[in-house]
Formats: sequence, structure tokens, C-alpha cells
Amino acid sequence: MKNFSNTYIFLYITALVVVIAVVLTLVSTGLKPRRDQNKQAEKCQQILRAAGHDIDRSKAVEAFSNLAEPLTEDGRQYRVICADGSKGTAIRLDGKGLWGPIWGYAVVSEDGQTLKGVSFDHKSETPGLGAKITEAAFLKAFEGKKLYDKDGNFVSVRVLKSGTASEIAEENRVDAISGATLTSKGVDEMMQSSLHSSPITNH
Amino acid sequence: MKKYLGPLSKDNPILVQTLGVCSALAVTAQLKPAVVMALSVTVVCACSNFIISLMRNTIPPRIRIIVQLLVVSFFVILVDLLLQSYLYDVSKMLSVFVGLIITNCIIMGRLEAFALSHKPFPSFMDGVMNGLGYGLVLAVVAFFRELLGSGTLWNHQVVPDSWYAAGYLNNGLMILPPMALILIGVIIWAK
Repeated sequence: MKNFSNTYIFLYITALVVVIAVVLTLVSTGLKPRRDQNKQAEKCQQILRAAGHDIDRSKAVEAFSNLAEPLTEDGRQYRVICADGSKGTAIRLDGKGLWGPIWGYAVVSEDGQTLKGVSFDHKSETPGLGAKITEAAFLKAFEGKKLYDKDGNFVSVRVLKSGTASEIAEENRVDAISGATLTSKGVDEMMQSSLHSSPITNH
Repeated sequence: MKKYLGPLSKDNPILVQTLGVCSALAVTAQLKPAVVMALSVTVVCACSNFIISLMRNTIPPRIRIIVQLLVVSFFVILVDLLLQSYLYDVSKMLSVFVGLIITNCIIMGRLEAFALSHKPFPSFMDGVMNGLGYGLVLAVVAFFRELLGSGTLWNHQVVPDSWYAAGYLNNGLMILPPMALILIGVIIWAK
């Protein structure tokens, strides 16, 4: 085995780190526009999906400009035309899953009473378990649910274990995903906090 | 060619060398992420094997692990950036697991055991074959977990609705990580 001097070791590792850092920076900067484009398209697609439109991501940005307009400057509320032709308000949702952030959009009918639809996304929920919150089967359950109970109190739409006895009426709840208790709970909390803290702008 | 085929069966990284088991448990609940993960690991393993082999005579032994880590991280970040730019859906599906390829023992294991003492081309092939050997096990485990756990394959439903109507239930245990460990155990035993 060759003997390497300390100077050689220092120079070697420094050179290596510099080369790798420079190359990665170049690649990252070069690809940034593409990544931003992907993120923007995804956001548009997500809002449109909550409104019931099934649109390919490549066409999402264009469709979005026709179907939606921002209501607030912070980009958390949009006025959208739903798939059934009615108007609704898309509201940004933010919450915590089991492993990381979860977020999404809820489209509320014009009178603010009914949920037209939702779309969710997550950073790092388990594939096959928590990640199922993005699947159509789960999202479909939210459509047409009421945000207020019979007495007119805000309850949002709760996500509760199926089959459990509960005071929450059928029209105010959907079934949680079996095997993904904590992610479902995260969605439950997100639906309550985000919708409650974003009073729906009257229009 | 034959000498490279070991990692696919009798020298399989997961089944025989028992490396990379952790990620094998994490990404095998469905077939698609498992296959993409396997391809990413193959690319990273082959490329870093190749580069380390090229550098092998210049690397000071005292800092060889750090050098290996740097090269592996370089490729993992590169793969992650490329996935985010060109295969956005897939990168979302794998999320944190792409970054965790850095810690996959197969890659460091092959660098230490093979690339440091062999020429670039054999090292590259060794990386490809170990990646594929890893992928093979992932695919088999994911096949059974997705089929029995969710009734789907590659996100398409394969268990007919009439079965569900007749009382068939998906096995919820299949989608939990412990079942992956049991499945891998069964494969090791059956082998």
C-alpha cells in the first residue's frame, strides 16, 4: 500500500469537494426552470382536480388560466369554475402527515356550505398506506359533504375510522384509510384547521 | 459474462450478502416505486463503482470511505435532480427514499469489496449486476405485497370486483413493513 502524505490527502479531498460542488451547482441551476415549471403545473393541476377537472399536467397551466383566478394575493384562495359548471372557491390546506407535511386544496361551493371536492398531496407518506390520500378512491368520498352540522355549527369534514360509533353525522364525515391511522388523522386536523382559519370570501 | 451473473442469484446482495434490506422493506408496498428505486440504485451503484475504480490508485486509504461517500452522494443528488426535472411523478413517489440511496449498504459494500481492487469496466458491470440483483428481489416482494395487499399490480386492479363482492378481503398485513421482512425471509429460505 502506498504511503500518502498529509498534504496530498488535504489537497486531494479539497479538490474533490470543489469539483463535485461546482458540477452539482451547475446541474441544479441549469435544471431549476424545469423544476419550477413542474411545481407550478402541479399546483394548477391540483386546484383543478379539486374542482373536478381531470387534466393532464402538460395542459394544466393553460387550463388553469381559463378556469381560475386568484381571490387573495397570498395564493391561498382561488375562484374556480367546477367541472359541473358551478362556481366555487378553492382554499389551500396545510397539515402534518406521519412523516412530513401534507397539503392540498378544497373547493367549497359558492354558498360556503358544501365541499365540491378536494385534492391532497404529501411529501413523504408511506407508499401503499398514507400515500393513498392522493388516490381518487379516497378523494371521491369528500365530494358533496357538508361543512356545517344540522344546527349550523362549523364541523368541517371529519376523517374517522370506519364503523366507529360517532356523533358526527354521515354528511360530515368520511372513512379513514385502514393501516394509515396517523396520516388520516393529519388529514382530519388539516380539514378542520385550514378551512376554519380561511373564512370563505363572500362574492 | 458468466462471472458477472453471481449477484442475480448465488451472490445476491439482499439474499446472500444481506445488504440493503432496510430500503427493501420501505419501497416494496407497490410494484412501480420498487422498480424505479431498483433502477436508481443500479445507476448509482454502477456509476460510482466506475468512478471509484478509475480513482482507485490515487485514493489515500485513510480517507477512502469519505471519498466513496462523496462520489456516491454526488450521483444520488444528480439522480434526484434529474428525476425531479424529467420524471416528476416518479420522483414524488420515491420522495425521501432517493436521498436514502446514499446510505444503501450495497453501494458502499461493492465499492469497498470490488471497485477498489478492480479495473473500471468489471467494476461497472459489478455495479449493474448488484443493482439488478437487488431489483429482482424488490420486484418479487413488491409483486406479492401489492397483489395480496391492495389487489392491484402497477396500480391497475387485478383482483376482480366479483371477488370482493363474494367476501374476499385484501390482506392489510401485506402493506405493512414487517410483512416485507417475512417475505424476504421466505425467499431466503426457499432459495
